[in-house]
Amino acid sequence: MQAPDPKQYEALSIEAAVVRRQESVWQRVWRNWSVRIAGAMLVVLVGVAIAAPWLGTVDPTLFDPGSRDLVPGKTGEITTLDGETIKHTFWMGSDSLGRDIYSRVIYGTRVSLIVGVLCALLALALGIVCGLASGYLRWLDGILMRFMDGLMAIPAILIAIALVAMWRGGLATVIVAIAIPEIPRVTRLVRSLVLSIREEPYVEAAISLGTPTWKILFGHILPNCMAPLVVQGTFICAFSILVEAILSFLGVGLPPDFPTWGNVMAEGRQQFNDYPHNVFFPGVFLAVTVLAVNILGDGLRDTLDPKMAKRV
Amino acid sequence: MSVLEVRDLTIALPRGGDRREAASRVSFSVQRGEILCLVGESGSGKSVIAQGVMGLLPKGLPVTGGTILLEGEDITHATQRRLRELRCTRMSMVFQEPMTALNPVMSCGDQLDEVLVQHTGFAAAERRRKILDMVREVRLPDPERMIESYPHQLSGGQSTRIMIAMALVLEPALLIADEPTTALDVTTQAQILKLIQDLQARHGTGVLFITHDFGVVVEIAHRVAVLRLGELVEFGAKDEVLKRPQHDYTRMLIGSVPTLKPQARAADRGAPVVLATRGLSKTYRDRSWFAKRRAVPAAVDITLEVRRGQTLGIVGESGSGKSTVARCILRLIDPSGGEVLLGGEDIATMPAWRLRPLRRRVQIVFQDPYRSLNPRRTVLEAIIEGPRNYGLSRAAAVERARKLMALVRMDPESLDRYPQQFSGGQRQRICIARALAMEPELLVADEAVSALDVSVQAQVLELLEDIRNRLNLAMLFITHDLRVAAQVCDYVAVMSQGRIVEHGPAGQVFGAPRHEYTRALFAAAPGRDFAFGSA
Repeated sequence: MQAPDPKQYEALSIEAAVVRRQESVWQRVWRNWSVRIAGAMLVVLVGVAIAAPWLGTVDPTLFDPGSRDLVPGKTGEITTLDGETIKHTFWMGSDSLGRDIYSRVIYGTRVSLIVGVLCALLALALGIVCGLASGYLRWLDGILMRFMDGLMAIPAILIAIALVAMWRGGLATVIVAIAIPEIPRVTRLVRSLVLSIREEPYVEAAISLGTPTWKILFGHILPNCMAPLVVQGTFICAFSILVEAILSFLGVGLPPDFPTWGNVMAEGRQQFNDYPHNVFFPGVFLAVTVLAVNILGDGLRDTLDPKMAKRV
Repeated sequence: MSVLEVRDLTIALPRGGDRREAASRVSFSVQRGEILCLVGESGSGKSVIAQGVMGLLPKGLPVTGGTILLEGEDITHATQRRLRELRCTRMSMVFQEPMTALNPVMSCGDQLDEVLVQHTGFAAAERRRKILDMVREVRLPDPERMIESYPHQLSGGQSTRIMIAMALVLEPALLIADEPTTALDVTTQAQILKLIQDLQARHGTGVLFITHDFGVVVEIAHRVAVLRLGELVEFGAKDEVLKRPQHDYTRMLIGSVPTLKPQARAADRGAPVVLATRGLSKTYRDRSWFAKRRAVPAAVDITLEVRRGQTLGIVGESGSGKSTVARCILRLIDPSGGEVLLGGEDIATMPAWRLRPLRRRVQIVFQDPYRSLNPRRTVLEAIIEGPRNYGLSRAAAVERARKLMALVRMDPESLDRYPQQFSGGQRQRICIARALAMEPELLVADEAVSALDVSVQAQVLELLEDIRNRLNLAMLFITHDLRVAAQVCDYVAVMSQGRIVEHGPAGQVFGAPRHEYTRALFAAAPGRDFAFGSA
């Protein structure tokens, strides 16, 4: 028998017959119905937040003693900062100071979305740095992770309350206060990913190609952590929106005149029996937003990170 | 009557696959007391056929035509209930991965017992007697203790024996073995093959043995069926198929199996030494604050040298320390003792900043083509990464990448694709190109062809050989496969338990092995009496 020559091998080899098409991540993500639905909901919410001034709202801090405790749909009067009195329809009623709940809820969307997105970005950024450091620089691992363990032992809300109380103040304080308790979770996730990815042959190949450590971390390891991180980010976002509402509701978040859903609900709590709409409308917005972000996270997890989807 | 008869079996693949059917009109039969080897490369559909017979096909792969007869009974569309009754009693299966096929939280005895409880009405004492008999029959030492132990306490070979015991305890008429020895070392493999043959002969079991390894076929088969892309291209008695293959594909497969006879080559003993190790050792230590420290010597007193234009092979079974040596040489791990001399300089303890400029000179190709390339980077970025690290301009690096793609016989136009778009063999070529982009003096191939199908393996080996000659490279070739070593190595070092037990020119080691372990390795090499490749 004559052994065939190499050219003939390649013609017969099964591998030669294999042609694969590359589907982009976006195509795959977009085919998922959870992503589509949640994406559409979030697009609407972002649209509402951006277009708040043109949606028939007034300045959310305006109040008029003459229009206190109106039920939804009633028309009343409200005084602008210039001292001008205008007629205004209170679609969601007004609170005990005579503020327009509709305007406050619509403007509240801005606060919630900004808090959610910025908290997620901040927690991810700091968590990624800590996680990469503790996963790759072994001498730092022990110290950093014990610190994170300590941070995780304190309830997230408690840390946030303490931090806000310490610094007092505005949006930035609240965002930082909510993001900090989330950092240990991100750190742990990144660290565990780094520990497995650093053993991959392509990382070892990069080492023998003389690639400097920081390039390996940010060029090889980090891009391969992104899928689970994006998913984690959506969950942090949803949780932060909730925590911000809780802080406001407890009166330890943004100042009470600030239009946030938590503040509106806190204000309406006293008269809940007589005027449930004060709590109902911001509550619905809060629930829908958190739900949309969570559904988006589930969809992304199913498409980006199938291994994790099976586990959870 | 045949134990198993498969007629015109067709199994559909889901839409968007690389072909329409996983198996197309496949017909074969297994007789009582016969071993039929189903041979094919990965993706040929051999495992799918086994799953089809066992009724274990996933939802996306329905049987769309043909019939499966088990001892005359049509089980093609049998109910789940009927299939459950048949499994273990009349047909059984042994899987490839012994470590994952057993339940880690159940003792081996309990897992065997489960089979008996499911299918028989035996009393506990009767079952225990039967289990012990079976464990004895698969030649496991100390059966009483063995049935108390958990899978993680067993070696791969022992786990495989337990699986065989489970499969055969109810004396089924048909045993399906899906690559049962692929994950095992060659010496263990030889024992398991012998065991299957003995048991099968004693009980008259019909065996459908799935493998990709023609050496195994030579050892065990009575008849052979060859699959290619879901189609049966050849079916006949072993000697017919192996010695007078009719189909081109079979001929190509058999021709691709490297021969155990080393290639005669004039190795120049005066060529300059590129890399040498002196007394290199690596001991892994458990770092623990509380428990007693354990030290595991992975490599002990390794002294080697590789000369320009020559290939040194390190041969050994898993756990022999051969990869540890490679990783020490590349300084991916720090050696615990000894010297690694690269062009006269000792790099064993060199600090990282001094080592960096020297890294260029030694490059590696890894075993797993699916994990050696960063899935988020294009082929171009992978290949130019190294040269860019050493200050080559992007334009020059891209130019070099294009030349290298041609050198490893791939289309330079596919540089902007991602690794996922390539097959295993193509990825291995890309890895070779990436290593060569550094213009190294020594290329380390750590089991670089072990994960590839035999025909692809032949191509990659041929490519490596060609490159070595063309660029006058030194090569360190690490493999567990004696055939591959025989084909490419000028010198061979045989490692066992962290030590080099035999070292010399390939002709000498392969022709007249002196050490007992080397001889055992050769004795275990499947199909050693059959002249492949050159026949």
